[in-house]
Amino acid sequence: MSLTARARFRFMKDMGAPALMAGSRAFMRARGRRRAPGPDTAPPLACGRRLREIMTRHYFLSRYAKGAAPVAWVTSGAPVELLRAFGFYTVYPENHGALCGAKGVGARLCSVAERNGYSQDLCSYARIDLGVALSGNSPAGKLPRPDLLFASNNICQTVAYWYTVLAEQWGVPFLLFDTPFNHAGGPSGADIAYMTSQLEDMLPTLERVSGCKFRMKALEAVLDLSKETAETWGAVLGTMKAVPSPMTIFEAFVHLAPVVSLRGLPVALEYYRVLFEELNQRVARGQGALREERKRLMWDNIAVWYKVRDFSTLFAERGMSFVTATYTNAWAETASDMDAGRPLESIARTYSRVILNNSLGDRLRLMEQLIRDYRVEGLVIHSARSCKPYSVGQYDLKRLLLERLGVPSVVIEADIADERAYSEQQTRTRLEAFFEALES
Amino acid sequence: MDVSKPPSRKEYMTMQKGRGRGLFGVFPGRYPRELFWSHGVLPMEIWDPVLDTSGSGVHLQPTICSIVKAGLELIIQGKCDDLDGFLFPHTCDSIQNLGSMVRDYLDVSKPCLFFYPPKAPYGRASRVFFRRELERLALELEGIYGRPDRDALHNAVVQGREVQKTLAALYAARAEGRLDASNSEFYRVVRLVEYMHPDDMLPAMKEFLDQRTTNHSVRTPCLVLSGVLPNPEGLFPVLDQLGLRVGDDDLLSCGRRLSGETDSGLDALDSLVESILGMPACSTINSPIEERRKQIIRKTGRCSAGGVLFNVIKFCEPDLFYYPYLRESLRKQGIKTLFLENEVNRDISGQTETRIEAFAEMIRRRRE
Repeated sequence: MSLTARARFRFMKDMGAPALMAGSRAFMRARGRRRAPGPDTAPPLACGRRLREIMTRHYFLSRYAKGAAPVAWVTSGAPVELLRAFGFYTVYPENHGALCGAKGVGARLCSVAERNGYSQDLCSYARIDLGVALSGNSPAGKLPRPDLLFASNNICQTVAYWYTVLAEQWGVPFLLFDTPFNHAGGPSGADIAYMTSQLEDMLPTLERVSGCKFRMKALEAVLDLSKETAETWGAVLGTMKAVPSPMTIFEAFVHLAPVVSLRGLPVALEYYRVLFEELNQRVARGQGALREERKRLMWDNIAVWYKVRDFSTLFAERGMSFVTATYTNAWAETASDMDAGRPLESIARTYSRVILNNSLGDRLRLMEQLIRDYRVEGLVIHSARSCKPYSVGQYDLKRLLLERLGVPSVVIEADIADERAYSEQQTRTRLEAFFEALES
Repeated sequence: MDVSKPPSRKEYMTMQKGRGRGLFGVFPGRYPRELFWSHGVLPMEIWDPVLDTSGSGVHLQPTICSIVKAGLELIIQGKCDDLDGFLFPHTCDSIQNLGSMVRDYLDVSKPCLFFYPPKAPYGRASRVFFRRELERLALELEGIYGRPDRDALHNAVVQGREVQKTLAALYAARAEGRLDASNSEFYRVVRLVEYMHPDDMLPAMKEFLDQRTTNHSVRTPCLVLSGVLPNPEGLFPVLDQLGLRVGDDDLLSCGRRLSGETDSGLDALDSLVESILGMPACSTINSPIEERRKQIIRKTGRCSAGGVLFNVIKFCEPDLFYYPYLRESLRKQGIKTLFLENEVNRDISGQTETRIEAFAEMIRRRRE
């Protein structure tokens, strides 16, 4: 790490980022900007502005992180707590892919990767990331080049292939946290031992890349913070059990960013405490996210990022509120397993049990539970071209949930960030039929 | 057995069932055949059954690969009635979920077993974990078939070593141009390992090797085949007609499952650990691209191949992610490449045939 880079990072952290935030606030005020609520929705959450600031600051500072701190590119399901204990500055390509998708530049970046030989059938997050790596273009400005790649295949094998390519591209170490798939309800003792041992084996590489000695105390402190953050995020989602729900899942998709990208840092916990408070106030006032909540729905799979706004309006117009999602729930459901008293073992257990590392039988049971807890009346299933572990099995899930709970559902064939895989007409036709079924 | 006309899988299954052997359907790719043999069970690998796969569309998205679709189709069409159960090795996301779907969502009323080979790079924990994984699978098989004889596993491992040795000899003769066999004939024999018991497969392979090995090397233009499996079958007559020999392969179902020699002093399970973890670099176990690159270059060198034909199954993520880097590094070495994207059992189109012809021409010119 260089002294100059550290000084520049420090300056940007203390002076540059606050100045940027102040400028951004002034700009918003001058434009009179606070997005007017639609006729069918409540005013946006006040927390939204704080969230924008946090994420803008994170991406802004990432431009100056290289050389000032060890930089790691990390998958959303990887146990980032381990890296925090070494002071890594973490960048989440999946989060960045979602950002690119939401800004409508996903297809453009994907096509850069495709011109370099990557098939259009590959995950669009990966293609966006490879497109950015190959072109240097990103709506977030510039992502810092990694010193380390850190992935876990608890969400998919795709990240392992993707990061293997990145490791070749950047010529940096790649650590894979291999989590055996849970076909039998949870990890076995042998699985836990295997995963714990892998974490132990990573320590020398992390020490070498970061230049820091491993301190168990530091990891324990991060774990405590991470656990509380995930639990608070769970409490945030829990407010949506209220009728009417104080927030829709489309808002939750956006408010998810800190628990994904900044888990284990104080800023994420502070943010969710404030958000939780605001949502509770709404619940106490009986204020819903929609002016009139007529139906309560569940979303399955990652968001269709380039359509979040459109879907939000479309469903709000019909008084249909998404009150839960398997996706947003994923960062809360296993938090209780984190235990600073048994750091590495509890990391193994926590990260092994995430939804996509569990059998489809477990997923069905989880969805049934969410449907009951959140009083869900209908389900929208996003069959994402990019995401095979999330999507394979969804057709049968649809059938089984109808048979077992009488919950109607619709499957939308789309993609998470590549808008070329989306057909407006086909989706509208399916949704209209779904709306009719719900209303009948 | 006439090795030029081996019995079909269905015929062989019926014969084996008649002999009282158990039959287990095994999905792609790496797993311990020897554990099954030790229980008197025949693992029948399910790669590319020839079926109309329209029924699988009720369960699977159109963007799922044809291997997974064909495998599921085999089950839902009731063509697995003779099988006692299924094994789903952890090979990719689609096979992982297929296994879970078959067990949890479809009423197949047969045991569904799972097998998790650790991902590379292998650390100190990988071998310990993998041995336990083998023990777990052995126990599950015991639950279905009972405890095998005391020496059964040892004997099966010895036979497994012999199979690997014979396959290695076949590949070596092929690479050196000393095997007088068409591409179709070669893969017909190599693929016996997917469904035959070693008692039948080994004599057949050895006979083929003895009969077809020549003292002189044939120096026909040669290529290395990469991809998942030697399919579609229509590819081989096209290559044969063009006088192009597949000198070696980097196929998941074939060359990427050839293990090196293991220490015969190891106990049976440790020998299986070493045999499977010692298999060549593969994207499905997350091997570094560099290892895979070196492996392909070594193969091209061994058989003096002028090019590499990437015959990739559409939607196969493990292969599609690695392809651009492999292509680029092979190009830098002056090795020609051709990329074909296929679905299993789909005919070779006229357009594809023309591309292969052009590729053959390039390889020939390079030799000259």
